[in-house]
Amino acid sequence: MSRTLNVVRLQLINKNTFIWVPLIVLGGAMLVSVLIYAMIPGDDPKYGGGGQAPLWVFFSVGLTAMTLTFPFSQAISITRREFFIGTMLSAVLGSAFMGVLLLIGGGIELLTNGYGVNGWMFHLPWLWEAGPLGAFIVYFTLALFFFVVGFTGATVYKRWGATVLTIASIVIALVLVGIAFLVTRLELWGQVGQTFGQLGALGLALWGLVVTVALMGLSFLAFRRATP
Amino acid sequence: MTTVIDVQHLTKQYKDKTALDDVSLTIEKDTIYGLLGRNGAGKTTLMSILTAQNFATSGQAHLFGEAPYENADVLSRICFVRESQRYPDDATATHAFKAARLFFRNWDQELADRLIDDFQLPMKTTIKKLSRGQLSAVGVIIGLASRAEITFFDEPYLGLDAVARQIFYDRLLQDYAEHPRTIILSSHLIDEVASLIEKVIVIDNGRILLHEDTDALRGRASTVIGDAAKIEAWADGREVLHRESLGRVASVTVLGHLSDADRAAIAAADLDLAPVSLQQLIVRLTQNAAHPESTTSTMAGEAR
Repeated sequence: MSRTLNVVRLQLINKNTFIWVPLIVLGGAMLVSVLIYAMIPGDDPKYGGGGQAPLWVFFSVGLTAMTLTFPFSQAISITRREFFIGTMLSAVLGSAFMGVLLLIGGGIELLTNGYGVNGWMFHLPWLWEAGPLGAFIVYFTLALFFFVVGFTGATVYKRWGATVLTIASIVIALVLVGIAFLVTRLELWGQVGQTFGQLGALGLALWGLVVTVALMGLSFLAFRRATP
Repeated sequence: MTTVIDVQHLTKQYKDKTALDDVSLTIEKDTIYGLLGRNGAGKTTLMSILTAQNFATSGQAHLFGEAPYENADVLSRICFVRESQRYPDDATATHAFKAARLFFRNWDQELADRLIDDFQLPMKTTIKKLSRGQLSAVGVIIGLASRAEITFFDEPYLGLDAVARQIFYDRLLQDYAEHPRTIILSSHLIDEVASLIEKVIVIDNGRILLHEDTDALRGRASTVIGDAAKIEAWADGREVLHRESLGRVASVTVLGHLSDADRAAIAAADLDLAPVSLQQLIVRLTQNAAHPESTTSTMAGEAR
């Protein structure tokens, strides 16, 4: 167990990737958003998606955790299981950190009434419907999901190469398009919208968490035979 | 002697290449091995499979009597830093050594500090910005300071200058004398490591060609130096591995054990015996094994 926890310490060597880069991206997105909000005339509240920018960083964090930190973990005699569990624990911690940042950002927006220009990027009404904890879970899930997608993609690439990764991505895209086609054909969009509305952001995030955990399981199966 | 590694019929098949071809061998405790062979001979593949970093197509490898894959007990007793080792993106050498310290039970920080000093390794630069030689030094320091019971060094000298290489060899022998362990050193600079290694394993095209005590191997050939004409006469009818001449002085390396009569003849002709170059011997023997029909006139000078 201590070896698995030490993997978390190993991953957190990457303070740049895990903490500073997301913070810089977040700060940058905030600055840009506020400047744009300030330029838009009118007193209506202005909403933007800049708050999701740092979440994308987690995709590359997951990617380098596999491509760079994994080979090093092999040199210092860590088993694949220890590495995988420790790395996912690090991702959970990092995602929770992102969730806390969202709460802080939302708090700032509430206090300053949208940076004084009535502009909002964290405290989006739909996101905060289920209260601060709900918003935290949405943000946490998104970050974790991106991390696992990055990690899994890199694992597939390392094990089977670029062609298989490309084909797998295309197949997934086709399946999604196929589902969209079926929904359109059967004229179910109304119901889909209704279900999404009922689930709300929190409900969707909880389902997302289920998907993320399932993806983690698949990722582990592929990772068990990965070579550095 | 205790066996620490036992390899049975190990084969690694890549799409279009057999990297290891039915390799069987045993490695003994507290011995320094030279794993010698050309680039692409299978040295790194063999070490990767022994350390569970890679997987065999068929066959088995046991370390301390157990399979190494997902075996933390076995893995924590061995260390293998690759020649092309990758490190976390933001890692400095300080980070790498801190991490290594977390996972190797015998890690010696004092030794690591001394080696950092010896190699003048910059500790605050990220590893990806280090020179090739400094990168090798990071691997060498992890390998030595981990004091693992089985330590693999994969061409650890790449990019190191002559002084730094000597530091590595000296420190290795020094620490080995105080803390005996099994060391497997892969190299194609045969003569440079010849004085270090107690046993020689030669691998070529995925097969083990030779596995022998270094001294016994040296005894399989002799080098004689002296007057060129006398040398020619003496070598006549013997299997010559290597020939060199400088003006009227010549040397030949011949295969085969010298009898007492041979030694007497050498002394009587005013010729001298000199140490055999392990490199020439191995190159010659591996060429013979690879192409048994080749003639003795082929020079072994292209050895690397």
